[in-house]
Amino acid sequence: MDIVVSVKTNLDLQMIRIKNREPVLEAIPYKTGDLDKNAVEAALQLRDAVGESKVIVLTVAESNRKVRETIKEVLAMGADEAVLIVDPALESTDQAGVARTLAAALQKIGSYDLVLFGEGSSDDYSGQVGPRVAELLGVPQIGYARQITAGGAGVLVERSMDEYIETLEAPLPAVLTVVSEINEPRIPSLMNIMKAGKKPTEEWSLADLGLDPAAVASSCETLSNLAEEQDRKHIMLEGGAAEQAAGLVNALLKEGIVGR
Amino acid sequence: MEKVDCIIVGGGLAGLSAAYGLASEGLEVMVVERGDYSGAKNVTGGRLYLSPIRDIYPELWESAPFERPVTRELVTLMGDGASTTIELASDRFATAPHQSYTVLRARLDQWLADQVMEKGGMVITKNRVDEILMEGDKVIGIRAGGDDIGADVTIIAEGVLGLLSSKVGLREQPTARDHALGYKEILELPSSVIQDRWHLNEGEGAAHLFMGEVTKGMMGGGFLYTNKDSISLGIVVGMEAMRERTEKVESHTLLDAFKELPHIRPLVEGGTLVEYSAHAIPEGGIAKVPKLFGDGYLMVGDAAGLALNALLTVRGMDFAIASGFYAARAVADAKNRGDCSAAGLAQYEQSLRSSFVLKDLETAKEIPHIMENPRLFTHYPQAVSGLLEKLYTIGPHPSQKLSSTVIGGVRKDFMNARTLKELLAMRKI
Ligand SMILES: Cc1cc2nc3c(=O)[nH]c(=O)nc-3n(C[C@H](O)[C@H](O)[C@H](O)COP(=O)(O)OP(=O)(O)OC[C@H]3O[C@@H](n4cnc5c(N)ncnc54)[C@H](O)[C@@H]3O)c2cc1C
Ligand SMILES: Cc1cc2nc3c(=O)[nH]c(=O)nc-3n(C[C@H](O)[C@H](O)[C@H](O)COP(=O)(O)OP(=O)(O)OC[C@H]3O[C@@H](n4cnc5c(N)ncnc54)[C@H](O)[C@@H]3O)c2cc1C
Repeated sequence: MDIVVSVKTNLDLQMIRIKNREPVLEAIPYKTGDLDKNAVEAALQLRDAVGESKVIVLTVAESNRKVRETIKEVLAMGADEAVLIVDPALESTDQAGVARTLAAALQKIGSYDLVLFGEGSSDDYSGQVGPRVAELLGVPQIGYARQITAGGAGVLVERSMDEYIETLEAPLPAVLTVVSEINEPRIPSLMNIMKAGKKPTEEWSLADLGLDPAAVASSCETLSNLAEEQDRKHIMLEGGAAEQAAGLVNALLKEGIVGR
Repeated sequence: MEKVDCIIVGGGLAGLSAAYGLASEGLEVMVVERGDYSGAKNVTGGRLYLSPIRDIYPELWESAPFERPVTRELVTLMGDGASTTIELASDRFATAPHQSYTVLRARLDQWLADQVMEKGGMVITKNRVDEILMEGDKVIGIRAGGDDIGADVTIIAEGVLGLLSSKVGLREQPTARDHALGYKEILELPSSVIQDRWHLNEGEGAAHLFMGEVTKGMMGGGFLYTNKDSISLGIVVGMEAMRERTEKVESHTLLDAFKELPHIRPLVEGGTLVEYSAHAIPEGGIAKVPKLFGDGYLMVGDAAGLALNALLTVRGMDFAIASGFYAARAVADAKNRGDCSAAGLAQYEQSLRSSFVLKDLETAKEIPHIMENPRLFTHYPQAVSGLLEKLYTIGPHPSQKLSSTVIGGVRKDFMNARTLKELLAMRKI
């Protein structure tokens, strides 16, 4: 079974500061998508359960430097090969452009039985990329997978819905997106990280995929990206402790924070 | 036990410099750094002296993310309520090639890690080395995250306290006496404001050191370096001096008080605090440099005590980079000859001895003793500022003759037996 896992490199959101209500994005370290690591872990477990399988990680970015650590990390976890789609034109792409690029890359890879995604990325979290790719490839898709087993018509998937669990089967090839509860991603050992550098890695440009930069250009323009302004209430409680406590309870009740 | 050619413990400037040299030679290197990224845990005051290391990896420095070349040097002697500032504006410092640059470690170290990886070296972050593995006197590798990994040579670049290396007896346990505490704030200010406040041409930088009241007379001083869009403002104070002081001070209050001084406040006004950090600094001088190599290992940078605080100049980063460079050369040669024993690695110490690293430390060997004299941080800043204050004062009463003010002041504060003895001692530095 050939499993492709689509992996995104995100900015480390915890390192982003807000200045004049705008995020400062300069010199922010990168980080592998959290759910993407769950998807890799799921692929590795499936590979080892089924045997005769390989796991290819696939990523799309505007520069090699951006994804280098991510690829190293997921190869060190145990993926077998990596395919990087790197092109400066991807600097200003959007979800549709990324999906188009991924679909074209999957077509070029040719043989795949399963394509795994995170349910949403760690930064934008639009949850669009997996479903878009399935649509472009014309293959079945199952979102929010919390368990994946090979079997049935091809693959058996438990979907995590808020109130219930749904079990579906799909023929292969299929696109799946995973939720975090599916597994606990393994932490690679140092030696595996060392060896990751030697695993086969291909790098393709948009031209290699037969894609024009216009095909990945964003159809949306960001007009403003401002952090919400939070105003303090500026309520000063005076008096003795008992009086202040009563005042605090009143204020919280009034705001509907307690007592509902 | 799985094995690599060379393991480097710590991905600061020393470790990365060694890694860069080794990777350039095509050797298999694994740098293990506990921080989220190189530079995440590293602290410096702010100025890298490039002159001593320009010819080491000459191809690197063109693209290095330096902040500003230092063209203005200032030092302030702070007495009680009066301070004297001396400024040096040197045409030579303002002309390329510049001798020193202000730097921010988060940027510099990450950039160097990138260069290492470009050369095929592996920098593994977010992983801590738990132990240095020994077989008798020989270092055979490391333990990290439950795995044992062997190496022909282990380069110890773990930084100042040397916790791992002292645990296995490769150096002494750190003592307060041989270390200072340094801590600083990075305050963001627009580049144009920095240039206005420090009278700088576009892109140029200033370095400003402070002695005296800033540390309440304890050994150490204050520093201020201008970066591109921020300033690094901090204090270095001897750990022993802090401990010995009868009237205890919490270190952070010194920095708060420093920022509130009437002549500092306007400089930092409006700055946004973006980073706060603290770190130890080796101050033991050459006397405290441990054995630099042995069977299967080398020590570089702060881990080997290679740093020099000479009051007006504070150096460690250039020593770290140079020692990493010489370590890489020694390891590459040793690997070529197939001899990674102490004898095979001995070239490392020889090259440090014939380079500025051990020469400058040797030249400065008396400095740690001189600096232990508290009068350097109490009496002298006060005496200089006190005398100047008198010269500038016009009171309601008839003034003294200028010469008698000077002679009286000099006689009282400088021409006594104690001061002469101290000045004589200073000839040694
Ligand atoms: C104004 C603007 C500027 C942008 N600039 C850039 C830029 O310079 N560079 C850049 O890379 N992105 C940039 N993006 C982000 C990018 O265009 C998409 O938003 C993003 O790649 C996918 O959207 P998402 O994170 O919401 O994906 P989701 O649909 O939430 O992601 C779901 C899953 O899809 C997969 N996936 C998503 N993206 C990728 C990917 N790139 N490679 C492999 N798998 C992936 C992962 O498995 C992920 O878990 C920009 C977006 C905007 C709006
Ligand atoms: C406040 C202050 C001001 C200074 N001012 C100057 C100046 O202006 N100019 C100058 O040249 N020098 C200055 N110095 C000295 C200079 O910063 C140091 O000499 C220099 O940082 C030493 O570099 P290094 O690589 O040896 O150590 P470090 O930069 O400390 O690197 C050691 C690395 O090892 C890692 N590490 C430690 N233990 C482990 C472990 N167990 N496992 C994995 N990784 C580990 C650490 O995370 C760290 O990244 C100053 C120092 C301080 C603190």
